[in-house]
Amino acid sequence: MFARPLYIFASVGVMLLSTFFFLTLMRGGTAENMPVSVVDLDQTSISRRLIHEMQATPSVDIQLITNSYPEARLAMQQGKIYGIFVIPEGFYDDLVTLKRPQLDFYVTNAYTVGGNTAYKQMLTMANLVSGAFQREVLRKKGLTDDVIMHRIQPLAIEGHMVANPWGNYSVYLVSTILPGILGLICLMLTIFAIGFELKTRTSHAWLRVADGNYTVAMIGKLIPYTLIYIVLGVGCHLILYRFAGFPVYGSTSRLMFGLLLFIFAMEALGITLIGLLPTLRDALSIGALYSMLGFSLSGFTYPQMAMLAPVKAISYMEPLRHYYLIYVNEALMAAPVENSIPHMLALTVFMVASLCVAPRLHRALVYWNYPLK
Amino acid sequence: MSNFKYPIVKAFVAELIRIFRDPGVTVIFVVATLAYPLIYKALYWNEQITNVPVAVVDLSNSPQSREFLHRWNAAPDIRLTHTCTSMAEAEMLLRNQKVHGIIYFPRDFAKQLADPLGKAHISLYCDMSSFLYMKAIYLSCNNVMLESMRNIQIDRYEQMGIGPEMAWALVQEAPYTETALFTPTGGYGSFLIPAVLMLILHQTLFFGICMLGGTIREENEEKYTFSTLIGRAGACFVIYYGLATILLCALPRLFDIPHIGSFWDIQLLIVPYLLAIIFFALCVSVFIRNRESGLVILISSSLIFMFMAGISWPKEMIPDAWWYIACCIPYTHGAHAFIHINSMGASLATTGTEYIALWILTGVYFAVACGLFYIRKRKLTTEN
Repeated sequence: MFARPLYIFASVGVMLLSTFFFLTLMRGGTAENMPVSVVDLDQTSISRRLIHEMQATPSVDIQLITNSYPEARLAMQQGKIYGIFVIPEGFYDDLVTLKRPQLDFYVTNAYTVGGNTAYKQMLTMANLVSGAFQREVLRKKGLTDDVIMHRIQPLAIEGHMVANPWGNYSVYLVSTILPGILGLICLMLTIFAIGFELKTRTSHAWLRVADGNYTVAMIGKLIPYTLIYIVLGVGCHLILYRFAGFPVYGSTSRLMFGLLLFIFAMEALGITLIGLLPTLRDALSIGALYSMLGFSLSGFTYPQMAMLAPVKAISYMEPLRHYYLIYVNEALMAAPVENSIPHMLALTVFMVASLCVAPRLHRALVYWNYPLK
Repeated sequence: MSNFKYPIVKAFVAELIRIFRDPGVTVIFVVATLAYPLIYKALYWNEQITNVPVAVVDLSNSPQSREFLHRWNAAPDIRLTHTCTSMAEAEMLLRNQKVHGIIYFPRDFAKQLADPLGKAHISLYCDMSSFLYMKAIYLSCNNVMLESMRNIQIDRYEQMGIGPEMAWALVQEAPYTETALFTPTGGYGSFLIPAVLMLILHQTLFFGICMLGGTIREENEEKYTFSTLIGRAGACFVIYYGLATILLCALPRLFDIPHIGSFWDIQLLIVPYLLAIIFFALCVSVFIRNRESGLVILISSSLIFMFMAGISWPKEMIPDAWWYIACCIPYTHGAHAFIHINSMGASLATTGTEYIALWILTGVYFAVACGLFYIRKRKLTTEN
């Protein structure tokens, strides 16, 4: 294997690059200073104060103050801003004469995170306007600020983000995406390692080294790879949960055990695929398709509960889905181990399945009875 | 015929033949390009996440809290599935993923509301294993809270002797409307599928060209003349022009995702997008030794390209160094331009920055590809 630097480069290089990339991409993991635009048709002291207060909040950044809505809309179409807040003409006058002037705000859903962040902030601002106005009126009636606050805000929601109190996007994304990439590498390299022997017709020499014993040949071939995968897996685990400080509320060792099972399952899946399709490029194409879908099917971005029933069923055929559930259970929910066990068993099933293709793969290695290229 | 035209046509036809004789490349170029969008559409079929199960811990057990829950349960986003007597019980449900959120009313909830100086609290616990749970639970609860709060405020002003009309004016002195522009449903598929369609074009074309480059090298059929460069690019362009039209113009209509852009603007966008990818891939393919090598790198690059482009994660939050690299990838500009035109109805002129960037990348990668082909050709001649 060391004769072809591709193997080492592919497994170690890609993993290092991905780890570095995803850990440095998110800048703290919460969306801040999302650009928005304010269309100020009022241009009074009160509208300017509103703009000023909005600018002071961390989640949005007013990039464009204009008196033309089409201009703001154009900026949105250019992807420069995610939201538009419109202060109508005569806002100040209507406000003081209790005519209830209407504020409008517009968001784009073409960019989800930006649009959502802008939406939340503009919603808060719109509600604050009424609050601020009430405060002014009540002050004039001679009430103290303390009393006023209870009038304005008699009800509040205390939000608790379980297991990720910072709302850190990075924690939830990277925790699944990095093991997913590692699994993808395991799958593709396993297919490559075996398939390449077929493609270059070296499988006879390989089997001869093991005295024609399929099991010995297979184990001998996969041990060095497996060691590399384990090192990468442990490294990835340490980087995420030791150095980057991602939370693990449950058992770190069980999470690690889940990751190792996942690596073995992906490796086994690789054997299964090359066994079913003993032609390197066919198996690689299917392997690529299979493992890429794992990212979506695992349900860490778009929850599985929203998927159609057949898609839901298929999602369990992805080892990443099981790893993700073990991760949620062990790292986030600190739930009893009984919840992880079914998924650990499911990962074991992938390993057992790879044994079923052994006769077929053995024949392919001996007789080259499939197209080699 | 002139000597100039002939080798280009020959290289063009040879490349077409090579593509269609090679089942691996045909599968990637045609089957994968057409199958992937269908798979992703099936995956994100339900645009919205609805009926997220939530547990209730209502220690106040009051008409006010029941009223609140009743209203909240009417929201399509969530469903109150379990009523628990203690937080411990609800926490266990959350841990076991039976529910994805908990709403907790403290014992003094009704008392605080009844007290004209009181402030009542509701605690909301959201499962963070997927951000969409939090969005569904938190936003819908917030809306009910704002509505309930206004009613409470009005009651309190009336107790103070402020008339109902004045109270109403005070409570919502500045009413507001909220509008989601361009994509009214705001679904996950509507947002992601346009970006995925562009990524599928980018990655299949990129990967296919690298695979062809590897095959040519394996079979010692390397020719690095200007004509082969143009001929190979032309063959891929012709095939992908048709595919891109299906993916970018027809599928959004069939899939019922936003498609408010002009057909002709998208046609004009396809040209530099494909050319930039083709020359970019031809540059990389010079370094590919055999058809399978670099496969893993190419596949993991899909995820990196997607995130680096600033679609899922806003581009403003991407560190500059990564963003500069992203700007060298045709996907980044292509995806933004397509979203601007297709999903937000921008004209080609409006999204001019991205469009010009694509042409610049086309020019740069064309020049680099010419250079690399020339170097490779000289190396081959000296070797022989």
